[in-house]
Amino acid sequence: MSRKLKYSIFRYNPVDPDSKPGMQEFFLQETENLNLFVALNILREVQDPSIQFDFCCRAGICGACGMVINGRPGLACRTKTADLPDQVSLLPLPGFRLVGDLSVDTGSWFRAMNEKIRSWVHTDKEFDPQEQEVCMDNRVAEKIYELDRCIECGCCIAACATAQMRVDFLGAVAMNRIARFMIDPRDKRGHKDYFEVVGTDQGIFGCMGLLGCQDVCPKNIPLQDQLAYVRRKMGWQALRRLMPGQA
Amino acid sequence: MTTSRPACLDWLQMLTGICLVVFMYLHALFLASIILGPGAFNSLADFFEKYYLAQKGGPAIALVFLVHFFLAARKIPLSSREQKKFLSAAKMFRHRDTWLWMVQVVSAVVVLLLGAIHMWVVLTDLPITAEKSAARIQTGYWLVFYMLLLPMVELHVGIGWYRLGIKWGFIKSAARHRAKRAEYYLTTFFILLGLIILVRFLLLSS
Amino acid sequence: MRVIYTDLLCIGAGLAGERVAIEAAQAGFETVCLSLVPSRRSHSSAAQGGMQAALGNCIKGHGDCPDVHFQDTVKGSDWGCDQEVARMFVDNAPVAIRQMDYWGVPWNRVVAGRSCYYKGGERLEKEEPLEKTGLITARDFGGTARWRACFCSDGTGHAMLYPLDNVAVKYGVQVHDRTEALSLIHNGEQCLGAVVRCLKTGRLLAYLARATLIASGGFGRIYRASTNAVINEGGGQIIALDTGVVPLGNMEAVQFHPTGIVPTDILVTEGCRGDGGTLLDVKQERFMPGYEPEKAELASRDVVSRCMHEHMARGLGVKSPYGDHLWLDIRHLGREHISVKLREVDEICKNFLGIDPAEQLIPVRPTQHYSMGGVRTDKNGAAYGLKGLFSAGEAACWDMHGFNRLGGNSLSETVVAGMIVGRKIVEFLQGHEISLNTGLVRNELKKQQERINRLMSRDSGERVYDLRNRMQDILMDYVGIFRNEKDLNTAVDELREVLHRTGNLKLSSSGTGADPELALALRLPGMVRLALCVAYGALERRESRGSHARQDYPARNDRDWLVRTLACWPESRDLPRLEYEPATRIVEIPPGDRGYGGGGVIS
Ligand SMILES: Cc1cc2nc3c(=O)[nH]c(=O)nc-3n(C[C@H](O)[C@H](O)[C@H](O)COP(=O)(O)OP(=O)(O)OC[C@H]3O[C@@H](n4cnc5c(N)ncnc54)[C@H](O)[C@@H]3O)c2cc1C
Ligand code: HEM
Ligand code: HEM
Ligand code: SF4
Ligand code: F3S
Ligand code: FES
Repeated sequence: MSRKLKYSIFRYNPVDPDSKPGMQEFFLQETENLNLFVALNILREVQDPSIQFDFCCRAGICGACGMVINGRPGLACRTKTADLPDQVSLLPLPGFRLVGDLSVDTGSWFRAMNEKIRSWVHTDKEFDPQEQEVCMDNRVAEKIYELDRCIECGCCIAACATAQMRVDFLGAVAMNRIARFMIDPRDKRGHKDYFEVVGTDQGIFGCMGLLGCQDVCPKNIPLQDQLAYVRRKMGWQALRRLMPGQA
Repeated sequence: MTTSRPACLDWLQMLTGICLVVFMYLHALFLASIILGPGAFNSLADFFEKYYLAQKGGPAIALVFLVHFFLAARKIPLSSREQKKFLSAAKMFRHRDTWLWMVQVVSAVVVLLLGAIHMWVVLTDLPITAEKSAARIQTGYWLVFYMLLLPMVELHVGIGWYRLGIKWGFIKSAARHRAKRAEYYLTTFFILLGLIILVRFLLLSS
Repeated sequence: MRVIYTDLLCIGAGLAGERVAIEAAQAGFETVCLSLVPSRRSHSSAAQGGMQAALGNCIKGHGDCPDVHFQDTVKGSDWGCDQEVARMFVDNAPVAIRQMDYWGVPWNRVVAGRSCYYKGGERLEKEEPLEKTGLITARDFGGTARWRACFCSDGTGHAMLYPLDNVAVKYGVQVHDRTEALSLIHNGEQCLGAVVRCLKTGRLLAYLARATLIASGGFGRIYRASTNAVINEGGGQIIALDTGVVPLGNMEAVQFHPTGIVPTDILVTEGCRGDGGTLLDVKQERFMPGYEPEKAELASRDVVSRCMHEHMARGLGVKSPYGDHLWLDIRHLGREHISVKLREVDEICKNFLGIDPAEQLIPVRPTQHYSMGGVRTDKNGAAYGLKGLFSAGEAACWDMHGFNRLGGNSLSETVVAGMIVGRKIVEFLQGHEISLNTGLVRNELKKQQERINRLMSRDSGERVYDLRNRMQDILMDYVGIFRNEKDLNTAVDELREVLHRTGNLKLSSSGTGADPELALALRLPGMVRLALCVAYGALERRESRGSHARQDYPARNDRDWLVRTLACWPESRDLPRLEYEPATRIVEIPPGDRGYGGGGVIS
């Protein structure tokens, strides 16, 4: 027999002066293969067209639908109701500005983060359209891709109590991004340069190893290992800087 | 330019942490000699005394303890806004490693107070002998004192090395769950060992 | 009245929009990109399999060159493309891909030595030579003579969009995300910018720009079942059509991808078949070789989708509560290959179907996937009808895809067109000033505000979601893979009725702030108009070409229909006005046999 699920959804529309933050309950019969993408859209189409939430690819690849599902940050589009209990509580991701209900402004956060860590390949070489591409070992390419799979969903920020406590902490996503550039031979920055952007308490030394990030990342990015990698590299860099004659 | 300060402090935090972990486990093993009898305990104590390990090592550990405290305190949320944020995040997100950190902070506060008293008492009453220790444990509230300090220290130390391993990559993600299990076993082992030691001291007739 | 001024306004921040924006920003122009979602969530990030560029590095791509790529593209388009554009495109694709590499895309590389691969379920061997080690490699895709689809596992779009957006950050391209262009500001001759609704606050803004680019992606969501993101609702095409003077090209050319999964319609890449996966029927037997002995599963998408449809119509599909489907089999590729080269597919199968593709068959059926049609532009990307308006990417009908886009050609199009159109826009900006007519801006803002006010104040009328669903169902039922006069007539009639009813929409919500229902209500009439362009264009095109397959006109008719449909929507009509232009002015390869797909040709 199919279950009737209770959805407790956070409701608040900051633009509406009459709106007050709170949980609203909805009920919906469970159907086969139901996931939260379908469920929320049915709720919106049939019960309350004003509910705000974000979906885009609905295939677990764009990162739009991060929310807190029964206490755990995750991608709603990939969450099957069959894996949930009879009561489902949905909250917006903490750590980001609320747009309304379950929808948060991840765009501005990630743009600012990318600007801060100067998230692009730094090189002096001009692009020459006549020239062949620079060779790269395929294993390196695959390793970069592995780290590049991050979809900037924000779950790792929502799941990091450090990031919640200290608003300027850049989070695991940024450290992973830096690790990606460290292993990319096209990026000519040295550890000295990376140190400038993440060798700080807002960067890698702010991380307390809570591993919420690792445990929720929907793309299974090896965040724990990347954080440790960046910490070691930045740690050594600091020691190197202490040596006489080093800038 | 970014300063090296946060990095250096993090290094120190790791190094003081490692020192303290090693010290605490050795400290427990040293005390365990009481299980073999006051003789074994006393000869070990003599040995430390002879090579000035207690006189010099004691204050050194006390110093490390202090430094570690100052370093780690940077991470403890001091403002109530931060505390609330951390608490609400941890409450919403029932996540073991996040809770372990809370355990570390709470145990740290106990260890700071009781540990300092303990060191003061022991180090101002050198040399260490089985008889003095037994007498202490058999009088007043010292038993309660140690019963509280013991689990707190062991939890703090166990979680401490686990976290160090995670943060610096001695423990890779593939080994994390094994390491965490090892941490639980080790912590349990040392708490039990500590209890046996306390019982042994209690039963030691002076 | 809140007005934002900029040199270039890009409506869309996917690969195409950002590539153009970067070109302008590098030349020192102020550039703003609008996007419904943060730029990195644009649907480009969902592209999986690969990007075509004739590098010829891997051994199976040996001998590849732009000429071969050109032939494949023109044949793939069923001679519906503009050959001058296709030529520019293939010549520039290698440059574009190398530039993407320079910017940090982790393309998979050639690994020297022996390795095995699969073709149609058969295990074969190849040996990569030492001297090509480390160069960008490629995989096989449908409708191509060589292995040419360069890839990053099967997350190619994502792996391209992130570095490109990084470059946009570097050059200070502004992205105003969560904004939606509602209409273009123009005076019938010149485009001056757009009226935009902020999707965070619901406020209206005017953006005034010396040049405006539409790069808003496809409009697949006019169909109920589509591999497209839910935001692919045709916003850019709608505002172009609404001007009354800018025509949309070949809107009837809608691509169905052979392997959308059942039931969620998520795509699994053509790379599955390119890497040797096969299609099986209810008896778990391969059937494609029976239809296409030569190319089998790797014929072009229109052909494979049609064969699948036919095969299911013969009762050989697998029955399921969600309708018939077929199987995609990639089990023989092995777990390692799947977990490295088809990672996203692996994840999608596990998360959305609960199956392990290394052990189990994947349920698939043809699903709406790509819009060949769009804002008609000249070879420089300038839209017909309005000066200062440009278009690029899937939103445009540039037109290198004709009636069927080859897999992997779309990602290349975004960056190649982005590069070429970007340069043209820079030239345009260098020599072009606009004179501002504040009255015009005020009027357009007022017009949109009135639309919103009307929607918010109406207290009885049609439900927004009901009408949207109705439109989607009409297209699913009557404007699918196979088309005929009767169905298309029905579609046109019913869509006209739906369009009429959208004049009377009523919100169930208050419409305040970023209200999602209001957003849809504002978009819906335009979506129905796009649907009508598709259905009416399809009805009028009395031949079969590429993805446009008419049961009542099964042959390709080069005598009468070697033309591109141009659909304009003059105000107050309930049907588009269709005109036609020659498909191509320059003919390098005269129409001929595609080598797959069968079907007659009237020449
Ligand atoms: C599942 C899938 C897989 C694919 N795989 C491949 C592949 O392997 N190889 C290949 O070559 N092609 C592939 N394609 C096709 C290819 O991905 C797209 O055609 C291409 O990425 C489109 O890029 P774009 O920049 O034109 O548009 P998009 O990336 O879709 O970007 C559109 C932008 O416009 C914005 N926008 C839309 N409307 C408005 C509005 N009204 N106001 C403001 N902003 C607006 C959006 O927010 C977005 O930023 C695939 C497509 C799909 C659906
Ligand atoms: C003075 C009282 C103490 C306080 C206030 C204290 C506090 C802390 C805090 C807050 C942390 C977490 C730091 C972080 O996550 O970044 C920590 C970590 C740690 N503590 Fe303590 N602690 C104390 C005593 C001790 C003692 C006595 C030991 C060992 C015997 C110890 C061993 C460790 C270790 C190994 C770590 C992990 C190091 C790291 O994470 O960098 N601490 N301590
Ligand atoms: C500075 C050097 C130290 C010395 C010389 C020392 C010595 C001793 C001695 C002699 C005892 C036996 C009981 C007694 O005599 O009261 C003891 C017990 C104990 N000490 Fe220490 N100690 C030191 C540091 C610490 C520190 C830093 C801590 C933790 C914060 C600690 C925690 C304990 C505990 C929990 C016990 C109870 C023993 C058990 O049950 O295992 N000690 N210590
Ligand atoms: S690292 Fe993982 S959790 Fe964090 S943003 Fe990227 S994909 Fe999301
Ligand atoms: S949860 Fe936060 S503290 Fe570090 S390990 Fe992950 S970033
Ligand atoms: S909607 Fe894209 S990840 Fe969920």
